[in-house]
Amino acid sequence: MRSLSRSRPSFYGTTWLLACLALVVTSLTGCATKPPASDPDALADYEQTNDPLEPTNRVFYAVNNGIDTVILRPAALAYRAVVPSPMREGVHNMLTNMGTPVQLANDMMEGKPRRAGDTVMRFAINTTVGVLGIFDVAKKWGYPDHDADFGMTLAMWGVPEGPFLFLPVLGPTDPRDAAGFGVDIVMDPFTWVGGSHDTGLTVFKWTRFSLNAIDARERVLDSVDQIKKTALDPYATFRSLYRQHRHAQIEKLRNDDPATVPVWFPQPANASAK
Amino acid sequence: MIYRRPFLTFVAASALFPFSVRAQAADRASAFVKTTGDRLVAVVNNPGATGAKRTEMTQIIDAAVDVDGVGRFCLGRYWRQATSEQQKRYLTLFHEVLVTNITAKLGEYQGVRFTMGRSRPQDDEVVVSTVVERPNNPPTAVDWIISNPSSDPKIIDVVAEGTSLRLTQRSDYASYLTHNNNDINALITAMKTQVSQSS
Repeated sequence: MRSLSRSRPSFYGTTWLLACLALVVTSLTGCATKPPASDPDALADYEQTNDPLEPTNRVFYAVNNGIDTVILRPAALAYRAVVPSPMREGVHNMLTNMGTPVQLANDMMEGKPRRAGDTVMRFAINTTVGVLGIFDVAKKWGYPDHDADFGMTLAMWGVPEGPFLFLPVLGPTDPRDAAGFGVDIVMDPFTWVGGSHDTGLTVFKWTRFSLNAIDARERVLDSVDQIKKTALDPYATFRSLYRQHRHAQIEKLRNDDPATVPVWFPQPANASAK
Repeated sequence: MIYRRPFLTFVAASALFPFSVRAQAADRASAFVKTTGDRLVAVVNNPGATGAKRTEMTQIIDAAVDVDGVGRFCLGRYWRQATSEQQKRYLTLFHEVLVTNITAKLGEYQGVRFTMGRSRPQDDEVVVSTVVERPNNPPTAVDWIISNPSSDPKIIDVVAEGTSLRLTQRSDYASYLTHNNNDINALITAMKTQVSQSS
């Protein structure tokens, strides 16, 4: 077994990059003009959209779109063309399985013991019976996957989402989720194993990172293409979709409190199953 | 003593009555979604010309979706600002756009499948959950919002993975209008271009 080494964790690079970007953002910051109080409908719209940095966000949307068109989308298309669907599913499952530590930590910090239990069972089943996480056997056995990240944890703790942000590379987000993204990287054990001298692990980490990006992009290929084709203002559509999706995830998390009844105990009537 | 049991049954039945009405509405909405979904899937999976498919699709959407209601919702506060002439032109175009978008979302997929989930009442509407599977895509949880479930069921919204189709469309139009001097004619022109490009 390899010994853990904490020299130069690779997330320093990411942090540095983000810090530089933050600097660029603040210097570039243009603000959307707030409508006057005499136009209450427009003002309500402005407040509901909650996108005071819209001009800057749109610049980064254009930048990201360029990167996506040149690199990520072609990569995802190639991935879809070369790797057959069941194999892609296997890769996706394996990547999900590797995210277990972060997921479990967030489940616990969210105060959701049942979710944490599901995560542990999923890891135990899929790593063994599911052959290193390739097959999602746990789902068939009654332990379906769920979303957990530190952005959601912060939401459970009552932190508001804040204004909409569109960041380079990261894409649509908000201050809470962007912070959550950083914390998730810090919480990931893979961030801390190995050093710069360890070529094998470095290759593994970069492969995992790239595969994650390509897998995520491949799964939304058709949806994103359709949005770009059918939306009059794709930026606004992505903004709305991102928010709605996050709200739905958090709402689901909040309401996920199944009753714990031992199998030998009389089961409650269907009323509670509603 | 003999009458006690029927009496209790009666009490129990009357207590349950409101639930059974709601349950019935949910069942009807569920059946409605199943029928509509089956028809849509049949059209999509049927190898045929795009034009013919579009005609069939239009018929199904006309019968199952409250297109005017959804259209009004999507225009939001601008609906009141529009002249009746603009409202009419907008709704006609909205209808076309809806058919185009749904055809684009489903039309290219031979082998679409959907499985019915549970349905539950929500306010005056019923939410029917399904899972839609398209080849090459991960399964998507899709909720159908049905208005007037007992009398005249109509689809008023489709929620895919927590994202509402009509809410998204509304913010798209709102943003477009904000960036075009709140000019409804500009929106109508843009919609026209969209329809002509895709058909």
